Amino acid sequence: MIGKVKLFKKLESVLAKSKADQTEIVFIGTQSGLTRFANSYIHQNVHENNNRIFIRSVIGNKVGVATANSLVTSELLKTLDASFEIAKQQPENLNFAGLAKPAKYKVMNTFDDDTASYSPKARATKVKSIISLSDEKNFTVAGAFSTSSGEIAVLNSNDLRAYQPFTGTSTNMVVMSDTSSGYASDTSRKVTDLDFETLAKIAVDKCYRSQNPISVEPGDYEVILEPSAIAEAMEWLNYVSFGSKGFLQNMSLLSGKIGKKITSDIISIYDNALDEKANAFPFDFEGTPKKRVNIIDKGVAKSCVYDLNAALKGKTKSTGHAITPDMSAMGASGFNLFMKQGTAKRANMIQNVKRGILVTRFHYINGLIDPRNAVLTGMTRDGTFLIENGEIKSGIKNMRFTDSMTRAFGTTKAISKERERKDSWWSAVGCLTVPAVHLGSFRFSGKTEF
Amino acid sequence: MKNKLKEIILYLKQKQVDYADARYVNCETEAITVANSSVDAFVRNSNVGVGIRVLFKGAWGFASTADLTTGSLKKTANLALQIARASATTIKSPAKLAEQKVYVDYYKTKIKKDPFQISTDDKIDLLIRACDVLRQDKKIKHTEASMGFFKTNKLFVSSDGAEIEQDIYESGAGCNAVAFDGKEAQKRSYPNSLGRVMATRGYEFIEEMNILDNVERVREEAIELLSAEDCPDTHTDIIIGAPQLALQIHESCGHPIELDRVLGTEISLAGGSFMTVENLNKLKYGSEIVNINTDATIPGALGTYGYDDEGVKAQRKPIIKNGIHVGYLTSRETAPVVNKKSNGTMRADGWNRLPIIRMATVNLEPGDWEFDDLIADTKDGIYFDLNKSWSIDDKRLNFQFAVEAAWEIKNGKKGKMYKNALYTGITPEFWNSCDAICNKNHWQVWGIPNCGKGEPMQTARVGHGCAPSRFRNVKVGVSK
Repeated sequence: MIGKVKLFKKLESVLAKSKADQTEIVFIGTQSGLTRFANSYIHQNVHENNNRIFIRSVIGNKVGVATANSLVTSELLKTLDASFEIAKQQPENLNFAGLAKPAKYKVMNTFDDDTASYSPKARATKVKSIISLSDEKNFTVAGAFSTSSGEIAVLNSNDLRAYQPFTGTSTNMVVMSDTSSGYASDTSRKVTDLDFETLAKIAVDKCYRSQNPISVEPGDYEVILEPSAIAEAMEWLNYVSFGSKGFLQNMSLLSGKIGKKITSDIISIYDNALDEKANAFPFDFEGTPKKRVNIIDKGVAKSCVYDLNAALKGKTKSTGHAITPDMSAMGASGFNLFMKQGTAKRANMIQNVKRGILVTRFHYINGLIDPRNAVLTGMTRDGTFLIENGEIKSGIKNMRFTDSMTRAFGTTKAISKERERKDSWWSAVGCLTVPAVHLGSFRFSGKTEF
Repeated sequence: MKNKLKEIILYLKQKQVDYADARYVNCETEAITVANSSVDAFVRNSNVGVGIRVLFKGAWGFASTADLTTGSLKKTANLALQIARASATTIKSPAKLAEQKVYVDYYKTKIKKDPFQISTDDKIDLLIRACDVLRQDKKIKHTEASMGFFKTNKLFVSSDGAEIEQDIYESGAGCNAVAFDGKEAQKRSYPNSLGRVMATRGYEFIEEMNILDNVERVREEAIELLSAEDCPDTHTDIIIGAPQLALQIHESCGHPIELDRVLGTEISLAGGSFMTVENLNKLKYGSEIVNINTDATIPGALGTYGYDDEGVKAQRKPIIKNGIHVGYLTSRETAPVVNKKSNGTMRADGWNRLPIIRMATVNLEPGDWEFDDLIADTKDGIYFDLNKSWSIDDKRLNFQFAVEAAWEIKNGKKGKMYKNALYTGITPEFWNSCDAICNKNHWQVWGIPNCGKGEPMQTARVGHGCAPSRFRNVKVGVSK
């Protein structure tokens, strides 16, 4: 960790040397450790100490971006020059909205000392506790446990200054027998929030109960989609539909449907980086304060998320969802997605299923088939069960689903009161917070052999 | 830098490590995206650092840093050792590395035109001209054209005595158009979908793509898709075009032959493999005409290099021979499980990532057919072109691919276009139904620049050589 004062001093000295009309520097520094285990031992155990510096120079409407990972002043100045030279060589970009203006940010605590100082030895100790619980049933276990700390800063020539330190931690585990597997995961800003014993017991229990799975035929089933499955589906919906690019290209499930009912009225999906129960963060990578965005509210399509350039195209305001400047061509993205909780007690949800399937988790979802109709395909894995007369009857072999999620969400019967945090690729600045969902209809299009 | 790395390795040897290696990687990239004839993004990136891998008492540790001072490198080496000690608390049997010839060498990608020396104006001009043609119809609502270039300098030093430097160049480009009629959106791309086609070549690769000769067709096909019929839901014979077949090979052969996956070390994220060690040399993976190899030595192919990130020389080896599974992609640690030496496929996504087994190029060898003869020989079928979506289960058995466009084949002739087409199957059943592969005139390596694997996530640039091929009685349908 460099710290706010020292970091700004360094970056402001670079900013002061810019010859461009407008200049922006985004800094992401991380120290991260990840312990990976499989076959019930640690096989990969890594640490990374890295910085990423993105410099955006603007000459009129011409924009150039150069990035580096060295904090040596001469390298930073080289990067500044490179961004200026790139901007000079550009044609005018009429879609450029300008850099963000100074703003006030919500004060929040996103840093935890215990997580930042967590050692490889301490991670190994937690992994050993997971292995022990798996060993008790003669199962094997694979998974990962990461801890990280870092700091993100955005500063620009409009005198915008944004800084936030952060920590993060995640774990996931797959417990396996010869014929079955079970999964559990969690993420937080604080390592003490992760309850390894409970997670391992869940994964062991799912593995135990799904042994010797039977095969069921593809078709239309009632389903309970557990939080991991909902999170994986939402990740893809976010990628193809909740961001500005898909929406503005008419390729989003929201395109042409704003104000229209697209799912059951008990489905609400929103992005809220200011909710500190999840991995909150106060600003985006342009320095715009985060705003809550209702994406689907009581079944009605409301809005995608925006960055500054997309907001210009969409004739609206940025919602604080810019990604890093090197990936800006992808448009804005949700980072802190929530599905609103319901009223059902999760433990009781299967009682209302006469014949259906409980899905712990999906694998290899793809949402590019037909994004406007929110069609996803993917496989179940690590704990798929047949429910009959309100009880788990047995584990079943994994199934492929291919379905429109807006159609399926239109059949929602219940949503759990309890929600879980789920990790994603953007974990430094957010995560997913999701309940279990009972759908009246979900289409399985195929099956596999295990 | 080489001396600094050698000092670190010497220091670790004094700490009694079983093995250590240090990799310096300096990767420069350039990416240009033009959207609707305006430059959407122009980014140059520099990413430099050192990764140190330590095997101590049979357990692994890895640490990496962007701070290249001697003090930082020593601290990083100590951290790698500390991490290995932590790993050692759980190991069941110590990791051992297969013996390997030690190389002191230099490798460089052969290119004709350094893409970083081509003028920015020329690059932007080509992309804007492509978008301009793609937009010449009101039904086209969005166009995109992009280029990307990588220049990677790698230095590898190991406690075995290896000292290898490599300079690898990678170049690619692509474009697409989205047609929209108020109700439906359809996309067509060139030369492949889902981004750029890449190769270990220079700017000459971009010039040889003939992008401007193809954009008019791409535009018209995107518009035609809006009024095309949905693909029928049936079982039929299918011919898969080479770019889509490349992804089919990638997902249903490339990944399940990674021996780390097979041995369970990727199971929590990417999954395992149905191609188990017990069935090596027994599994009838495909029909007798199916021959697949791994090859990191094809000049110009994405996935070609001099040495992997364990210092093992690039190789070509058989994977599927006359339909039988005979080989894996291996590392120094995993190869002894199948009584082999490493075939050199350990690669890391930069200095800050641990090397893991990655595809180089995994290729379906050419058959005998001319493409026109194959169409003429097909009474009822569908031709599938350019991937739209991909999904496969965690043992790589049940797959489903959708494509941008498909065409009916009726009585040996290509007929009407279908939209929203997909096909699905079980891997060995599918490859055993392969009864025709086009010849070398239609064979090309298709670079795939975004293969994801590992935790933390790593992206690899890999390739697949193949030619259009026919598969009998495959389940096809519409993706709605």
